[in-house]
Amino acid sequence: MADLDTIELVKHIEVDKYKYGFTSDIETDYAPKGLNEDIVRFISAKKGEPAWMLEWRLEAYRRWQQMEEPAWARVSYPKIDFQDIYYYAAPKSMANPKSLDEIDPKLLETYAKLGIPLKEQEILAGVRKQGEKSTLDDDGNEIAGGRVAIDAVFDSVSVVTTFKAELAKAGVIFCSISEALREHPELVKKYLGSVVPQGDNFYAALNAAVFSDGSFVYVPPNTRCPMELSTYFRMNAKNTGQFERTLIIADKGSYVSYLEGCTAPMREESQLHAAVVELIALDDAEIKYSTVQNWYPGDAEGKGGVYNFVTKRGDCRGRGAKISWTQVETGSAITWKYPSCILRGDNSRGEFYSIAISNGRQQVDSGTKMIHLGKNTSSRIISKGIAAGRSDNTYRGLVSAHRKATNARNFTQCDSLLIGDKCGAHTVPYIEAKTLSAQFEHEATTSKISDDQMFYCMSRGLSQEEAVALIVNGFVRDVLQQLPMEFMAETQKLIGISLEGSVG
Amino acid sequence: MLEIKNLHVKLADEDRVILNGLTLSVKAGEVHAIMGPNGSGKSTLSYVLSGREGYEVTEGSVIYKGEDLLAMTPSERAAKGVFLAFQYPIEIPGVATMQFLKVALNSQKKARGEKELSTPDFMRLVKERASKLNIGPDMLKRPVNVGFSGGEKKRAEILQMAVLEPSLCVLDETDSGLDIDALRVVADGVNGLRSPDRAMIVITHYQRLLDYIVPDHVHVLSRGRIVKSGGKSLALELEAKGYAQFESEAA
Amino acid sequence: MVVQKTAAEMNYGLSLPHRKMEDWRWTDLRQLVDKPYPPRQTVVAAAKDVERLLRSSPFAKVGGARMVFVNGRYAAELSQLKNDTVTSTINVDEPVITMNAAFATDGACLKISGTVDTPIELLFITTNAAARTIATRNVVEIEQGAAATLIETHLGEGSYLSNSVTQIRVGEGARLDRIKVELEAADAIHLSHVHTTLGKNSVFNDFTLTSGAKTNRQNGTVEFKGQGSEAKVSGAFMLGGRQHADTRLVIDHQVPHCTSRELFKCVMDDNARGIFQGKVIVQRGAQKTDGKQSSHALLLSETAEFDAKPELEIFADDVVCGHGATSGDLNHDHLFYLMSRGIPPAEAKSLLIAAFVGEAFDLIAHEGIKEALVKFSNKWLSQHRSGRA
Repeated sequence: MADLDTIELVKHIEVDKYKYGFTSDIETDYAPKGLNEDIVRFISAKKGEPAWMLEWRLEAYRRWQQMEEPAWARVSYPKIDFQDIYYYAAPKSMANPKSLDEIDPKLLETYAKLGIPLKEQEILAGVRKQGEKSTLDDDGNEIAGGRVAIDAVFDSVSVVTTFKAELAKAGVIFCSISEALREHPELVKKYLGSVVPQGDNFYAALNAAVFSDGSFVYVPPNTRCPMELSTYFRMNAKNTGQFERTLIIADKGSYVSYLEGCTAPMREESQLHAAVVELIALDDAEIKYSTVQNWYPGDAEGKGGVYNFVTKRGDCRGRGAKISWTQVETGSAITWKYPSCILRGDNSRGEFYSIAISNGRQQVDSGTKMIHLGKNTSSRIISKGIAAGRSDNTYRGLVSAHRKATNARNFTQCDSLLIGDKCGAHTVPYIEAKTLSAQFEHEATTSKISDDQMFYCMSRGLSQEEAVALIVNGFVRDVLQQLPMEFMAETQKLIGISLEGSVG
Repeated sequence: MLEIKNLHVKLADEDRVILNGLTLSVKAGEVHAIMGPNGSGKSTLSYVLSGREGYEVTEGSVIYKGEDLLAMTPSERAAKGVFLAFQYPIEIPGVATMQFLKVALNSQKKARGEKELSTPDFMRLVKERASKLNIGPDMLKRPVNVGFSGGEKKRAEILQMAVLEPSLCVLDETDSGLDIDALRVVADGVNGLRSPDRAMIVITHYQRLLDYIVPDHVHVLSRGRIVKSGGKSLALELEAKGYAQFESEAA
Repeated sequence: MVVQKTAAEMNYGLSLPHRKMEDWRWTDLRQLVDKPYPPRQTVVAAAKDVERLLRSSPFAKVGGARMVFVNGRYAAELSQLKNDTVTSTINVDEPVITMNAAFATDGACLKISGTVDTPIELLFITTNAAARTIATRNVVEIEQGAAATLIETHLGEGSYLSNSVTQIRVGEGARLDRIKVELEAADAIHLSHVHTTLGKNSVFNDFTLTSGAKTNRQNGTVEFKGQGSEAKVSGAFMLGGRQHADTRLVIDHQVPHCTSRELFKCVMDDNARGIFQGKVIVQRGAQKTDGKQSSHALLLSETAEFDAKPELEIFADDVVCGHGATSGDLNHDHLFYLMSRGIPPAEAKSLLIAAFVGEAFDLIAHEGIKEALVKFSNKWLSQHRSGRA
């Protein structure tokens, strides 16, 4: 039973023993520290980008210089010195890899250590056959059934993308953005920045100027992408910022499910992660985007950790388009993200499912925006916030219906669970209805794990920690069920791990 | 009183056809039972007769007392004597039952050019009808159906019938959710309203109700149309054999 | 009560709040305060104007003692209650309070001990004259164990800006039922802030009807200072034309074992815009707090608008808190049910809208006051629904 797995793992870990905190000793190429036009040019040149791309970056950089860092979120952190960061760091062995053999074996080892299902590499490398147990994986994890295509990104660079050939047969393009700029520049040019323009906000502008890499997905009309697509981000090099940019386009009548997973080593200094994700769904297309985020949360005193400032937006551009965001946020010292949907096409639908867990001294200010523009649009938001330790967990949401958005429907449920009396859980929803035919329903509750529940579990033999894990998994069940099956088990473990040390 | 001819109805925003050529003729003084499995279109028939949004008539006609029923708005139909007892009566918080009934009755009287009832006369009428149905004064003070049990809701619908005195009563699965005692009270109420000027259509899934409200005619509704008609014995036959035989005949 | 002139008031162009300030994001006073409204003007009110306004109060027949303020000054000849002199301060940095501190001319000072059976009505009347600001500052103290019902009625004619700040202290074991009606002139701006502190085991029931002014901003702060107390804050908006009403409440649970309930029913017709911002704070250690908030909006026209921000800021875990907000049209199933019983569409709508708003009125204990409000609401409805389907 999945809950028992959670319980097992919960027994062994503490906040400071972040499992992925190791560093990999890999030769890295760095750009000079700091940010100026030359760095932007450096990055663009390193990637061999076309001239229009460099112009786009420079325009973004100039905009960024005019902007001020936003301060409205409920998060506090020491001022970031933007000149004290490396904006480009790549493993040295990464000059245009053609096959897995060319990849630094230590890199592959890193991924293996992370327990990421990059077992495809083994098959390609002939180390093992499909179905045989892996020798590289310490955890003994085997992904049951389905295959997952993966784009592995190490610091600023995409290391490898698996299953590309097979996807290409279905007409699906899945590669790094750098590669897309080389092989499919017209597609990138058509859609890049159309959902999150350069000047959208401070961090989006920064990202547009210095984005390192990210995934590019294009699914042709009436195609159901034959497998889950996934990207794993790993921030390794010291003092670097991670600025990836993801662009996913689902053409008419197509379907794609994408999972983003992230980890970072333990470091004393904080690391900045300012990503941008743009999703575009045309007529009757569907994009399912899931994130399991486990960046380093900082130590028990709140030092170090990743600052996760992300702009994610989906544009339901066509009629009947559907975009759904599912996120499990358990890491990062500071999380500031609002995956949003613009419900432009008539009959389009946006969904947002979130589990945000904060422990130690983490600060989370996350939520979503559902903007109803077209007719007969609907949106659904289910947010589960769990605050423990001395953390602060805020849900911030906006649901708005434009005057012409007739028959807009929204249902929002945000529930907060507080563990211990030193944390805080907050909800700040904004509801804006400019048309009478919009039916909006919003509900929020705050509670704690009741003593009765705990007593009941313990009277059946569970320890206090086991009881907490069990109850929390039940609390978040609605959202857990939205995740692709392959990742549900890992996620349940992750939830248990992140709550370790929160009781007592 | 009611002539339904070849009625075809589909859902307004989907292409799903629910009634597929339904024909039925009901005379004053008669009680017709319509029985059918789930999904046969029973509730749709009652909603279309009462004028609810969401349905589109693509073919056929419904003539009520010589007039085109489908051309009338819901409140016009009520004023002309159509009454639908809902399967799931709605709760309306904040609108007291007594007040609601008074407004409804007087609106109908006004539409018919009749004299409206004064408050004391009205209250006397309601109390008299209510006591026959075991409905006490506190229930009358509560907002419409709020906090009523399933049985109380159904009795409240019958009380409305008793007060509004309709000519055509459509009872949509009045027996659903009721135990035997509640069923008896409801059935007695309905039977008390039978008269030569009044027609009733009793829609039900189970034949049990028909032991108490004995119909003159029984019709089987399957896949949107009436596939067999008969007397009371048809109901017993259905009880014994089920709907399956009619499903295959209708196909 | 007499308030001293302050230096700030000399320059009556105080800086007004604007939409880049979080608490004012939907109500930009820099835009909405459309002309200068000089404060502390002396106006001679015509007796017949005053009489007419007094008669127009919905509570004219409710009975009880009155304290009347005409154009911002206590009118002893029209009042049955004597006014007192008390000094106290509100140490809150907030634009409406800041403006009031600078401009207030007079206000009610009430100290209530024992149980007062009949309601006390504070009437604030503004007569038609040149556009100006009338600011009043009230202090209400309900002493230990006392109980009272207080009505606050704001009426006026002409074009003016009314700023009303009230400080309320409910003592240990005391109870206050407060009903405020904002029925200012159609061309008026009404700004107010009510700051209430609750002592141990006290009860506070507060209801506000917002329906008169073209621009209305009402702030309410309720601070729980003593355990075991209970606050029910409710209100109704009945807005039409181009009215703009923004109510912002902050319920601050500073101590454990207190209960708060908020219920707002907002009806917006024509081009009206209703805004409800309700924040419930549960401070660290305020365990066993029970706080629930609901705001429901009913939009009656294609051009009406509703914005809501029901906020929860929770720092204690052993609490039960929740909020709900809905916005929409009249329920179609309810409408159909009523019509299927012969009630014509316009009347069916009125019944449902009255029921919608009525839920907020139900919380008022005093029958006479409740009836007066129901009567007002029915009149408003008939003015807004007549001739429309």
